[in-house]
Parts: sequence; C-alpha cells; structure tokens
Amino acid sequence: MRGRGGARLRVGGGSRGSGRSSGGGSRAVDAMENFTALFGAQTEPPPPPPATLGFGPGKPPPPPPPPPGGGPGTVPPPAAAPAPPGADKAAAGCGPFYLMRELPGSTELTGSTNLITHYNLEHAYNKFCGKKVKEKLSNFLPDLPGMIDLPGSHDNSGLRSLIEKPPILGGSFNPITGTMLAGFRLHAGPLPEQCRLMHIQPPKKKNKHKHKQSRTQDPVPPETPSDSDHKKKKKKKEEDPERKRKKKEKKKKKNRHSPEHPGMGSSQASSSSSLR
Amino acid sequence: MAEKFDHLEEHLEKFVENIRQLGIIVSDFQPSSQAGLNQKLNFIVTGLQDIDKCRQQLHDISVPLEVFEYIDQGRNPQLYTKECLERALAKNEQVKGKIDTMKKFKSLLIQELSKVFPEDMAKYRSIRGEDHPPS
Repeated sequence: MRGRGGARLRVGGGSRGSGRSSGGGSRAVDAMENFTALFGAQTEPPPPPPATLGFGPGKPPPPPPPPPGGGPGTVPPPAAAPAPPGADKAAAGCGPFYLMRELPGSTELTGSTNLITHYNLEHAYNKFCGKKVKEKLSNFLPDLPGMIDLPGSHDNSGLRSLIEKPPILGGSFNPITGTMLAGFRLHAGPLPEQCRLMHIQPPKKKNKHKHKQSRTQDPVPPETPSDSDHKKKKKKKEEDPERKRKKKEKKKKKNRHSPEHPGMGSSQASSSSSLR
Repeated sequence: MAEKFDHLEEHLEKFVENIRQLGIIVSDFQPSSQAGLNQKLNFIVTGLQDIDKCRQQLHDISVPLEVFEYIDQGRNPQLYTKECLERALAKNEQVKGKIDTMKKFKSLLIQELSKVFPEDMAKYRSIRGEDHPPS
C-alpha cells in the first residue's frame, strides 16, 4: 500500500518541478492519511513523501519511472521527440497529466449493464433457472424410443463420433427400386432377445396417487402368508394399544388446555396467554 | 428462424416414428408384411432426403460442442443452457461489482486529490470536461 501510494502519486505529479514541493508534500501526507482512513488503518505510518511529489511549476519534469508492465502508451514520449502516431490526444496538451488517456465511451457495452436483459434473455433465464430442469435426456426427448439415458459410449452411439469420424457425404439418397428391395426379404419369426433393443423402454415413474390405488387394489394373497407377514401383523397389533393410549393422553391434554375445562391452573393460563 | 427448426423437428420426428414402426415389423416378421416393410424402407429414404434438404437452411447454425457431451452422457441438454445462463449472470454481477468499486474509488480519489491539489485537479477536470467534481 505504501509503495503503491507513493508510486501513484509520483506518476501523477512527477512531471512538475519542486517549486511548491514542500507544501505539496505535506499536503500529500495529509492526503495519504485520508486514504488510510478511508481504506483501513495501516500498521506503519506512511513514509515521508519524496521531493517529486509536488506539482509545483518551474522545474523541468524529471524522467518518469518506467511502468511495470511496459504497455503501449504508458511511456511518455520525450519532450523533443515527436508524438508517436496514435498517441492519445489528451497526452499532447494535458499539462502535468502525462499518463492521461481518453475515457472509454459511455455507449460501450460493459458488464455494468445487465446483459441478460440487454439481449432479451429474461424469458430464457426464467424458463431454465426459475424451475428445476430434469436431469435425464429422456425428460427432454420423452417420445424417443430406446434407452437414451445410457451414455453414448456404451453402444457407440455418441454424437461426438460424428465429429471425430465424420460420415462420408456427397452421395444422394435414391429410392430403393424393386430389384434392390429383394435384398430386404426377411425370414418369418420373431427376432432373438438380444436384438430387441428398440422395444426396451426406461422404467417410468408412477404417480404417488396411482401407486396408492394400485396398492389398495392389489389382492392380498389369501393363502400361505409368509412368516414376515405374520410378524408385521403382530407388530401392528402390538403397536395398536400403545397408539390408542397415546391418543387418549393427547385428548386429555387438549381438554385440560381448552378454556371450557374447569380444572385449568392459573400458571397454565398465564403461559397460554403469554404465547398469544 | 423458428420455422427452420420446426421443419427439421417435424422431419426428424417422422423419421424416428418410421424407424420405430420398421423395428416393430422386423421384430416379428411375417411373410405378409413384406409389402409394408418395403414401403417403410422407401419412407426412410424419403425421410433422409427431407432431412438433407433442411441442411441447406441450417448451415449458419453453430452448436456448442459441450451440448454433444451432455447428450452423449444421457443428460438433458437444457442443463447446459441453464448453466450457461447462470455462469453469464454470475460473471456479469462480478464485473459490475468491479466496475462499481472502481467508480467509487475514482470519485473518492478525485475528491481527496481536489482537497490536496485543487489547482491541478481543476485543470484535470477542465481537460476531462467535467465542471464539478463527482460526488
């Protein structure tokens, strides 16, 4: 911070002489103190400013320090040398501000404007970011047959291969004539199981409501119930009296808390009133 | 613009449906369905011709390669759009924050420099064409 501040001031005011250097220097110290107050206290006090800090006239400008980046346009041309082509117009007659450049135009599109609004993408933003987009490809293409959620590398059907190994183009698509169609005569009968990939569909999620209905409609096997079923039933039976007891207790409590109930204590009344 | 895509989408849907029907015919082929098979094969050829015609209208459309990766992984390509928009907005906010901070810094710097170097800052403002120091 210290070095930076000094360097900036030197860059800004180093082109003038030191006629007012002492006054300017003390004022610069004050300025630095103001900056430290603005951007947080420093542990070390700022060093005494160099003599070149002042803006006083009367002394030829010392050679400015080379910029760290050495970018174009940052090095001021020497006084005798002609101005390089393309130099800022402000640099010619801007007095002490030899590093001054033209400000960027206000019409320039920058990140200070909301670019989503600028390009009329609010609708798209609300559409995609407002609600949750489903993860699977089958949600995007629900009518496409086959297992499309599997990775393309699985069955070598990736789109990437279109770029890596582009298909041979140039030929035209001609209808298949009668003699050519003879090559598509097939044997009667079903296909073997491993070739029926087209008919495999991803399992679709059922609605909760439907699921409940199906559960209720499912016929309970009347005969030979398994041991696990017995245990479940027993558990239910065991739980039932406990539940009843708990329900009764809850009812009793409710009655006690109700205003109509005569046996309500004063402390309970106060607590209930405080809650309200 | 959207018509082009609608045409292509329509042709692709027809083509996929033809392929699906062809798959059904082939999966349990009967000698009587040979005529239907031949017809479907020719439908596929015409479908490919239609899709090929759409190519001319869409030569100026470029698709990001990342979308292909999403599809190849079995993921919804709309997720890519979503992530792009979110990234753009986050970056936009970040840059706006930087610009606002720099503007504040500039105004504070000018304010403080005007206190210390009033004459020079008056010159500066006259060069910049600013009559009043920014608040």
